[in-house]
Amino acid sequence: MPEPLLIVRNLKTYFYTEDGVVKAVDGVDFEVYEGETLGIVGESGCGKSVTSLSIMRLLDEKGRIVDGEVIFKGKNLLELPEDEMRRIRGNEIAMIFQEPMVALNPVYTIGDQIIEAITLHQNVDEHKARKMAIDLLRKVGIPEPEKRIDEYPHQLSGGMRQRAMIAMALSCRPSLLIADEPTTALDVTIQAQILELMKELQKEYGMAIILITHDMGVIAETADRVVVMYAGKVVEYADVKTLFNDPKHPYTYGLLTSIPRLDIEQEKLKSIPGVVPDPLNFPSGCRFHPRCEFFEKGKCDVSEPELVEVEKGHKVRCYFWKKVDETKKIEAEKV
Amino acid sequence: MRQETKRIFRRLFRNPSAILGFSLLIFFILVAIFAPLLAPPVNSFNPSMKLPDPYIMPVVSWKQEPIPPTTKKDVDPQKLGREPIRCIDYHPFGIIGGRDIFYGVVWGTRTAFKVGMIVTVISTLIGITIGSISGYFGGWVDEVLMRITDVFLSIPFLVAAIVLTTILGVGLDKVMIALIVFGWMGSARLIRGNILQVKEEQFVLAAKALGVRDVFIITKHILPNTIFPVVIQASMRMGSLVITAAALSFLGLGAPQGYADWGALLSYARDWMLEIGEHWYAIVYPGTAMVLFVLAWNLVGDALRDVFDPRLKG
Amino acid sequence: MVEFLQTHDSGGDGLLTAYIIRRLLLLPLILFGVSLIIFSMMQVLGPDKLLAAYVNPNILDKATEEALEALKEKYGLNDPMIVRYTKWLRNVLKGDFGWSLVGKEPVKDAILERLPYTVELALYAIFPVVVVGIWLGVLAAVNRDRFLDHFIRIFAVVGWSFPDFVFGLLVLMIFYSMLNWLPPGNLSNWAEEIVRSPEFHRYTHLLTIDALLNGRLDVFWDALRHLIGPIMTLSWLWWAYLLRITRSSMLEVLNKEFVRTARAKGLPEKVVINKHARRNALIPVTTVGGAMVINLFAGTVIVEMVFNRTGMGSFTASAALQLDYASIMASALFYSTILVLGNLIIDVLYATIDPRIRLG
Repeated sequence: MPEPLLIVRNLKTYFYTEDGVVKAVDGVDFEVYEGETLGIVGESGCGKSVTSLSIMRLLDEKGRIVDGEVIFKGKNLLELPEDEMRRIRGNEIAMIFQEPMVALNPVYTIGDQIIEAITLHQNVDEHKARKMAIDLLRKVGIPEPEKRIDEYPHQLSGGMRQRAMIAMALSCRPSLLIADEPTTALDVTIQAQILELMKELQKEYGMAIILITHDMGVIAETADRVVVMYAGKVVEYADVKTLFNDPKHPYTYGLLTSIPRLDIEQEKLKSIPGVVPDPLNFPSGCRFHPRCEFFEKGKCDVSEPELVEVEKGHKVRCYFWKKVDETKKIEAEKV
Repeated sequence: MRQETKRIFRRLFRNPSAILGFSLLIFFILVAIFAPLLAPPVNSFNPSMKLPDPYIMPVVSWKQEPIPPTTKKDVDPQKLGREPIRCIDYHPFGIIGGRDIFYGVVWGTRTAFKVGMIVTVISTLIGITIGSISGYFGGWVDEVLMRITDVFLSIPFLVAAIVLTTILGVGLDKVMIALIVFGWMGSARLIRGNILQVKEEQFVLAAKALGVRDVFIITKHILPNTIFPVVIQASMRMGSLVITAAALSFLGLGAPQGYADWGALLSYARDWMLEIGEHWYAIVYPGTAMVLFVLAWNLVGDALRDVFDPRLKG
Repeated sequence: MVEFLQTHDSGGDGLLTAYIIRRLLLLPLILFGVSLIIFSMMQVLGPDKLLAAYVNPNILDKATEEALEALKEKYGLNDPMIVRYTKWLRNVLKGDFGWSLVGKEPVKDAILERLPYTVELALYAIFPVVVVGIWLGVLAAVNRDRFLDHFIRIFAVVGWSFPDFVFGLLVLMIFYSMLNWLPPGNLSNWAEEIVRSPEFHRYTHLLTIDALLNGRLDVFWDALRHLIGPIMTLSWLWWAYLLRITRSSMLEVLNKEFVRTARAKGLPEKVVINKHARRNALIPVTTVGGAMVINLFAGTVIVEMVFNRTGMGSFTASAALQLDYASIMASALFYSTILVLGNLIIDVLYATIDPRIRLG
């Protein structure tokens, strides 16, 4: 196994608010290898976005990374001085966001914004940068790029805006692209196109992608390996096939079984009972225990399980993952 | 509900500037209440006689030039034959135009409150009425009322007030009328905007479906939900109102010289501009009172807005 | 009419043109309304008092009842208001505003003579207001809740609470009476003589510019010296107001997503703030800032009186004190026109600056 491109170890990011300390990310570990797509999945508020912002060190004032390491190409990003970090941002690690309408500056043309990214990190003049920008727009599938380059974000459709954002992010050929819910705000058909585009570009540029989403369908389509997050912690970590066929964490299991299926008879749609915990006041012990169907009093509410490697490349944070296995077997027999 | 009020109070006073604002306000309220004690409204040549109208400042000196401040120690009770009375026998803030500045500042506080409150309350009421009608009924009623509002807004406040005082004559009451006539537009627009938003809300439609009369719908359902921003805006207007009223008095269009009003007090200074450096007290004391008064209202307005409606920030 | 435009404009760039047309059409309507209000207000006085606008007060005092009646007839003061209003309006549109008691000349001439002084003052005052207000506003927003922010905000609130005439008096007290640096008035006597002499050509009627164009640096400095105090006073209230608006607008923008994108690109913080954030923040500031600039004109009334300068402001105040009705009406009309025109220009400017509105 080659060295990972990115190693995140024991990352802890807390927010110091008026109402208390929000432990948004509380000890997260994962690796990203060159050229692969790592999916980070979880409900809103589980800390997945904050993780990506922590990697980029783009947290707002109230947030602080209190512990952990983020090792990118051998260097710990958390220890870099700001100007070195800036040279990495947009250049070696790029990020795209959920809603391109608000993520792009409304008063500058998309051409301006892409050219800005190019001239910032590369030693090219404006003229060449403009040509590069037009080529990029063409590559991401925007028709008539010579015209579009001088248009403003609000003049483009949602899908095209996201393509423009991708063009801007890829302008400096980063080794790692972090995509934070890139398709959530788009139509389902456009969603598929954007994901296709990202996969193509990934192959062409040989870059790694961290794809953050709450949509298991997107994960199934695009991810190679998956991190499942809940309440600021990693609860399951495996490659995508294993995760879908053999989930071992009750939460993952709950997520997968709650997806409506066309191939079996379902009278009631299954859902995970309860709500996401209040980040100011996490449950004791295992943070998922109030909603877990495999909850055992005396164990789950007392101490938090460790993230354990139960088979090669598959880690779970649960005492009773075996119970999940059994339940799956029973369900499989029913069908 | 008590929890809610406690929380509101806590947030209100969290800010040091809010605390300052409220303290200043309380200070001025106290000064206004205790005015007769601080500056006895008695005839300066016959202290046992009460003044018929305490707002007309008594003449304490026939000298032309302003006189610098004097303290109790400067007076000899023996010569006087009685205990020195503030404003009559000694003058903590000095004398200008033959009148005691301390007296003017103290009783001017009452005037400031009077003018501010009356104008704010009445103009806000007018504004609420017009705005509510406009917002609730919509259609051509709304168009017409809004155009009228636009026209009124097209004349700069100070200029409009000047024109009106020219017509109505000189005097503080005329100034108040002028300020009311040209001061309601802000509240009207604000409440109209809020009503337009609330009008489509479910509970209003429900009331209509029940057949509740329009007037009741407005007063019982819509107004309670839209009133807060108007109150906040009104408190923020207090400051600029007092400034404008004082400016008019300063120019000679409002309260006449000799009336207990800060602006009128400052207008005396215009006669002495050449050596005003020597007569600094004539400007500094009334000026400070004005600045602090307006500051108090601005800070209070800010604090209220921070707590009740952060959307209005700025 | 308004509905027509709202339903008939053709998206795209038609949106902006329809918007401008709508505003332009409303303009005369509003001015009409303003003139009506001003005129009606004056009518409250009654024909006896209004006579003073046409006839020398000394003659009025000595006149008999019949003579007064005859005069009222002569000037049409007994006619119904509609007739008088139309007559007045017609005159106004011709440029005849009546006779000014204050200026002892036709009102139109009185205003034209004094206008440049006020324009000069207001124009110069715009700079400190805009520069200081915006600069401090951005600074405060960027350093939110830190010491600098609190300090600036306190400074601004105090500024906002200071009545302009009190500030003006203080300026005169310290800088004129005590230090003798900044005297009141327009010019020193010697400079006044030079300006009035035939060799001095008044190209723009703005003292400072004209002085430079005539090559008289000494007159320029003198005029400037007399302007500093009034400029400080006039801008005092308004930079504080602009600061608040800028600060809150900037705070809002700094929270926006695209600021985060800009940082994610690796842009240095300075560029993020000055290039990306500020442009967006300034959009709402222009509307308010514009309204504020218009108010600068109104503020000249007080400032010119305090500093004993010639101009529209002191003209209006004097007219009010001397009950010069013709002048007052003209002044009010003038200020309102500036306000309405100014608002229109600002709204159009706003529409042009924000590409979302410009391009629909």
